[in-house]
Amino acid sequence: MRHQRVTGILRDICAWGVVLLFMFPLFWWVLASFKPYSAIFSTTPVFFDFEPTLDNYRVTLLGYSRVELAFERGGVGGTTGGSWSYYAVPSIIQSVVVAVGSTALAVTIASFAAYALARLRFNGQHHFVFWVLAQRMMPPIAVAIPLFFIFRDLGLRDTLLGLILAHTLINLPLAVLLLKSFFEDVPRELDEAALIDGASRFQCFRLVALPLVRTGIAATAVLCFIFSWTEFLISLQLTTSIRTIPVKISTFVTSTGTEWGFITALGSAALVPCFLFILAVQRHLVRGLTLGSLKD
Amino acid sequence: MASAKADRMGSHRLVRLPWLPPFLASDHPLPWLAPLVAMLVAFGLYPLLYSAWLSLHERNRFTRQNVFVGLQQWAEALGDDRMWHALWVTVVYTVVCLVIQLTLGLAIALLLDCERRGYGVMRALMTLPLVVPPAIAGMMFLLLEDGEFGVLTHALVGIGLLGRDQPILGTAGTALAGVMLADIWQWTPFMVLILLAGLRSLPREPFEAAAIDGASRLQAFRYIALPMLGRVIAVAVLIRGIDLFRIYDYIYVMTGGGPGTVTETLSWYAGRAFGVADFPYAATLSLITLIVLNILALTFIRVARVRF
Repeated sequence: MRHQRVTGILRDICAWGVVLLFMFPLFWWVLASFKPYSAIFSTTPVFFDFEPTLDNYRVTLLGYSRVELAFERGGVGGTTGGSWSYYAVPSIIQSVVVAVGSTALAVTIASFAAYALARLRFNGQHHFVFWVLAQRMMPPIAVAIPLFFIFRDLGLRDTLLGLILAHTLINLPLAVLLLKSFFEDVPRELDEAALIDGASRFQCFRLVALPLVRTGIAATAVLCFIFSWTEFLISLQLTTSIRTIPVKISTFVTSTGTEWGFITALGSAALVPCFLFILAVQRHLVRGLTLGSLKD
Repeated sequence: MASAKADRMGSHRLVRLPWLPPFLASDHPLPWLAPLVAMLVAFGLYPLLYSAWLSLHERNRFTRQNVFVGLQQWAEALGDDRMWHALWVTVVYTVVCLVIQLTLGLAIALLLDCERRGYGVMRALMTLPLVVPPAIAGMMFLLLEDGEFGVLTHALVGIGLLGRDQPILGTAGTALAGVMLADIWQWTPFMVLILLAGLRSLPREPFEAAAIDGASRLQAFRYIALPMLGRVIAVAVLIRGIDLFRIYDYIYVMTGGGPGTVTETLSWYAGRAFGVADFPYAATLSLITLIVLNILALTFIRVARVRF
């Protein structure tokens, strides 16, 4: 009994040790966003021995000028770099529009296709599913290069619509395969009963199957949102004036130095929606991350 | 109440949708799949063909016209040492990260598979790194590994593993490991999460039987749990492997392929060719990435019998 208690406590200590080790980069990141310039660039690590400041958030989220803030403090602090814009609210809005737009489009298109793949039988179905899956294997760079030219010709380059379409494309395989697995969970007999009662296929879908996979659709939408929110390469190559958050942050690494204060402030703010969402869909996370092939 | 509900259901049944053409209401899969197929053809298949077309051309730097040159770009790529080096780096990166993430993930999953207090919270905390944008995760480690004020550098110098004058990402011997560290931090939780789900879905009886027969816990794990986890591990390795092979974001923010070409992966090399406006060569390299990845993934799916 005693032996068991000791091993139990040892296990607790090990487990918390590992988890806290994994949390450390996040902790250090968020901590840095509240640090003044001197504490970030101190050659001996500064843990709690600094005066917390909101300046980094004020510049990136509220649009204060960094020079203004430096004067307020009596002219000390980092004022390197030129008149680069660190105000990131337009980026946040653009990121939200792209993520919401591409999520809505992907989930809508995918729910029709997923229902058909789960319920109807047709020749070459297996190959079709495979084709959708193969889209997931496309390296983003192999998508970005041709899309750059195609979008240029269509006038979609550097537009929100173009980015929404590109993100829809990369989210479609996930959405289709995941929703297919949710539709497959709904007993086939329900559809058959409705069909016998004279409902059309569309009515089966709209009135029987769809209401039953509501949580599945929510989970799919959340994952699509997150993948669009975190996408980097395609947004980087297809836009110049529109800047989604990850791309915007990467521009804070300038030739005159890396603005760690602003990077960490905007970076921390960008994590908030992801963390809230992911905690909301914990239950379906495994299924989502394995494209519906493992159910929990 | 119940009858009111039944009435509502009934009335739904009678609704004709006059605006819907008859074939749309049929069992034919075409209308259901049409939007998906349209999207995948327009923005998936057509770009691929465009890439293939582009890879058969050469860009004239003065007239900015694409001139047809046949397979010259492909021949050039196959004879390009830098491409082979990038492929080698990509393979090393994929294999090393995969092995570390899988073993570490399995160990942590076993550690966290427990019903005591606090373990639910720990499992939830472990999922957080998964949703950090990779570009930001790369920056987190750029901050930790900075040669002057990085706290990880400081710790490693402190215990004598690293010289003061060797920035992790600026030294040829350690740069790739530095990038891998970010990947391992972000994606080990992926393995943990999937393996935890796998462990929890195992039936109890075989373990009880083994315990009665006198098997140790290690034996039970090795001979019962591991084989039963086979399918779960196969899916996790496939999905993680695909993503590892496409790595770009960490390289972009952490090393830019340097120092020299030490951390240059295939995706990165293709992106670089694109950056210097050698579009046909970039298309060729991106197609090579795609082809190699598809061959590897399809072989794996065949061998491990993964189904979707």
